[in-house]
Amino acid sequence: MTEDLDIKLIKYTQEGLPLTKTPYKDIADGVGMTEEEVIDRLKALLENGKIRRLAASIAHRKIGINSNAMTVWKVSQDKVEECGKIMAAFEEVTHCYERPTFPGWEYNVFTMIHGYTDEECENVINSIKEKTGLDDYVMLYSEKEFKKVGVRI
Amino acid sequence: MALSEIEKKILQRLQSNLPLTHRPFLDIANELDLDEDLVIEKIKAMVEGKYVRRLAPIINTQAVGNSATLAAMQVPDDKIDDVAEVINGYSGVSHNYLRKGKNKELPLNIWFTMSAPTQEKLEENIKEIETRTGLDVRMLPTTKKFKIGVKFKIYRKG
Repeated sequence: MTEDLDIKLIKYTQEGLPLTKTPYKDIADGVGMTEEEVIDRLKALLENGKIRRLAASIAHRKIGINSNAMTVWKVSQDKVEECGKIMAAFEEVTHCYERPTFPGWEYNVFTMIHGYTDEECENVINSIKEKTGLDDYVMLYSEKEFKKVGVRI
Repeated sequence: MALSEIEKKILQRLQSNLPLTHRPFLDIANELDLDEDLVIEKIKAMVEGKYVRRLAPIINTQAVGNSATLAAMQVPDDKIDDVAEVINGYSGVSHNYLRKGKNKELPLNIWFTMSAPTQEKLEENIKEIETRTGLDVRMLPTTKKFKIGVKFKIYRKG
């Protein structure tokens, strides 16, 4: 369970922290807590993983990271752990997940790869192939972005 | 406007956690050997210039009790925009993309992520999308996480 005060704090800050010299003090004034309490609660939320990061979300396209290849891999069950770790170690691999398969869909490991160019993404894919020995994969490039927003509560 | 070296430096730092201290931007300024006012001013400019979507807590939707899934659909070309609009109408949808296989053709072409307060509600939304579009939706929830980072390198190699 997430406490009401935590929810209140997240809701108050999720669109952006105040860009002031004392942001936590200003949040505290806004939600009726003390600065110390705001800091302690944020610390706890980071520690228990309810908040992944207290950081900037970057518009990656805007800074030139234009290529995003969702690459899906067919990995045998006994190799998933080993391959997942190898893939996750690449800086350009921002997400790496195992997902279920179903009839007609056999790709069980997903990597999201971001790069300045398609070539940069494909260099990473080639390195993954070399290191894992995998060869059944599909690079799914985004053709059109219909929606991209951060998760809110 | 292209980012200056100072802005790149700040942006790189901002992808990691903000210090939980009385004066976090002063701490960052000290780390980077910059002035606090300048750091704040540059962050404001990068938010305004939309280089930074937000400087905020990034929520782990599942850890706060929500259910989430990646979902995929096979949508005929002439229905893509209509289907995308239906999907976008759900507030729990955070990503929605048209994707094409480069080295191999795949039937699934619309990929989106959705979260909802409960698993039941999530499944209800997915069913509703199927009813409204007349197309199947495949749910591909995470069974194991190896990495979720989304920290970009602001500086190019070489």
